[in-house]
Amino acid sequence: MAQQIGTGIELIARRKDGSEFPIEIMLSPLESAEGILVTAAIRDISVRRAAEKHLGQMEGRYRGLLEAAPDAMVVVNQGGEIVLLNVQAEKQFGYRRDELVGQKVKNIIPEGFAERLIADALRSVEDALAQQIGTGIELIARRKNGSEFPIELMLSPLESAEGILVTAAVRDITARKQAEAYLLNKVEELNRSNEELGQFAYVVSHDLQEPLRMVASYTQLLSRRYKGQLDSDADEFISFAVDGASRMQRLIQNLLAYSRVGTKGKDLLDTSSEEALQQALINLRGAIKDSGALVTHDPLPAVLADEMQLIQLFQNLVGNAIKYQSSGVPRVHVSASKNGGKKWIFSVQDNGLGIDSQYFEKIFGMFQRLHKREEFAGTGIGLAICKKIVERHGGSISVQSRPGHGSTFRFALAGTERKP
Amino acid sequence: MPKEVLLVEDSPGDVRLTKEAFRDANSSIHLHVASDGVEAMAFLRRERAHARAPRPDLILLDLNLPKMDGREVLANIKEDASLKTIPTVILTTSEAEADILKSYQLQANCYLSKPALLDAFESLVKSINDFWLTKAKLPQQRKGG
Repeated sequence: MAQQIGTGIELIARRKDGSEFPIEIMLSPLESAEGILVTAAIRDISVRRAAEKHLGQMEGRYRGLLEAAPDAMVVVNQGGEIVLLNVQAEKQFGYRRDELVGQKVKNIIPEGFAERLIADALRSVEDALAQQIGTGIELIARRKNGSEFPIELMLSPLESAEGILVTAAVRDITARKQAEAYLLNKVEELNRSNEELGQFAYVVSHDLQEPLRMVASYTQLLSRRYKGQLDSDADEFISFAVDGASRMQRLIQNLLAYSRVGTKGKDLLDTSSEEALQQALINLRGAIKDSGALVTHDPLPAVLADEMQLIQLFQNLVGNAIKYQSSGVPRVHVSASKNGGKKWIFSVQDNGLGIDSQYFEKIFGMFQRLHKREEFAGTGIGLAICKKIVERHGGSISVQSRPGHGSTFRFALAGTERKP
Repeated sequence: MPKEVLLVEDSPGDVRLTKEAFRDANSSIHLHVASDGVEAMAFLRRERAHARAPRPDLILLDLNLPKMDGREVLANIKEDASLKTIPTVILTTSEAEADILKSYQLQANCYLSKPALLDAFESLVKSINDFWLTKAKLPQQRKGG
C-alpha cells in the first residue's frame, strides 16, 4: 500500500454498459474510526492513450527514416517536449533515449529553439510549412555532461493528430566553426601583414630618397663640372651613374605614389570628374604641348571619389595615351556613360600604338613594361597606380585594344545624385 | 656688405650641396654652418668659440638635428628679443603637414622642403637668394648687436 500511494497506476475500468476505458488511479490513505480507508482519484486517460498509440504508430513510421539520417534528429511537440530521437542524437548529446523522451528540449538546446516553437504554435500548419519554420539556425547545444557545442538546426514541421510536431535535424558544427574562426584569424593576420607591408614600402621608399638624393646630386655635379676633363671612359661611367640614379629617383617617387594610394587616401566625396580631368590636363600641359596632342571630352558627371586620386588617375591614363604613340598627332577622348546601375563607366580612348590582347591583364601589374627603355621611359608603375586607385573606389579597370588601332581604357565609379 | 647666412644642417652632403648652390647663385655670401641645434644657439649668442660670430641676415634651419632639434632652435630664436627679427627659413626634407604647421606656429618666416632633384634644389637656393637676401628689406642691425 505505502509503495503505491501517490503514484499513478494505469488500469482498465469498466462502465455499466460493459465498455472498457483506460484510467489512471491515485491512491491515498484516510484514517477513520473504522480503520484506514483508501481514497482513489480516478482519471480517464483514453485521450492520452490514443495519442500514445498514434505516437507509437508514428514512431514506427518515422524511426526508420530518422535512424537513416546522418544528423542527430529530435522530434519535439509544441510544448517543447522531446517526443522522438534517433541514435545519432543519443550519441551527440550523451543521453540514453529514455532519458530524453518526455523531457524539455531546453535541457539539450537551452536557448533559441523552444522560443521558436511557441512562436510557431500561433501560426497555421500551412504557414509553418510554407516557411519551412527556419533553415540553418545556429545555436548552442548542451550534452549530458554539461559541455556545450555549436549546432546548426534545420527545422521542419510534421503534421500529426496532436498538432504540429517539429523535426529538428541537429548538426554539430564544431569543426566548421573552428575552420571559420581559423579563416577569420588568417584574414585578419593577412590584412595586418598587408598593412605592415604597405607601411614598410612607404617608409623604405621615403627613407631611400635621402641617400639617393645625395648620389644623384653629386653624380650630376660630377658630370656637369668634369665632363670632357677626364677621359672618355670616365664620361661614360659618370653618365651611366647619373642615368641610373635619376631612374631610381623616378622609381622611388612612383613607388611612393603607389603606396600613398592606400595609406594617404582621403574620404570619397562628391567630386566633379570634369574638374578633375581639367586639373590633370593642366598637370600634363608640358606633354600635351610637346606632342601637339588633341585631348577632348564629353560633359563628365559628378562621382564619389577622392579628388586627388581621380586627378592622378586621369593624368596617368591621358599621359599614357599621349606617350605611347608612333607618329602623328595623339588624339585622346574622355567620356562617361551610365551602365544601367548607379555606376558611371569612364572611357579614355586614344589613337596610339595599341596593345596586344595577351597583355591586357599584365599591364596593370607592378613594374610591368611592354617597351624597352630606349623606346619609352617609364617605371611600369603608372597603370598599377590606376588599378589601385580604381579598386580603392570599389571599381575595376580594363583595356580594349588592337595593335595599331589605339586603346580604350575603361573604369567604373559610383555616381552621386548631383546632375553632371 | 656681404650677406651672412647661418645654415643649421647636420648632413655634410647637404651642407656641401647648399654651399655649391649658393656659390652659383651669389658668390659673395658668407655661409656659416652649425651642425646641430646647440651649436646653432652658441653661434647666435656668440658663446664660446663663436665670440666673434657675425649676426646672420638669414637662418636656414633643418628640422631634424642632433642634440637640439630644429623646432627647439626655432622656439629659442623666436623667444629671444634680439634674435627673433632674423628671418628664419625652415629647409628640410620633411613634407609632413604636422611639421609645416608646427613651424609656422613657432613663427618660422617660411617653410621650404628640399627638392629631390639637383636642378630643382639649385633653383630653390637661387630663389632664397633673390628673395630673402636681395629683394626683402631686413631690419638694420645694431652696431655690434
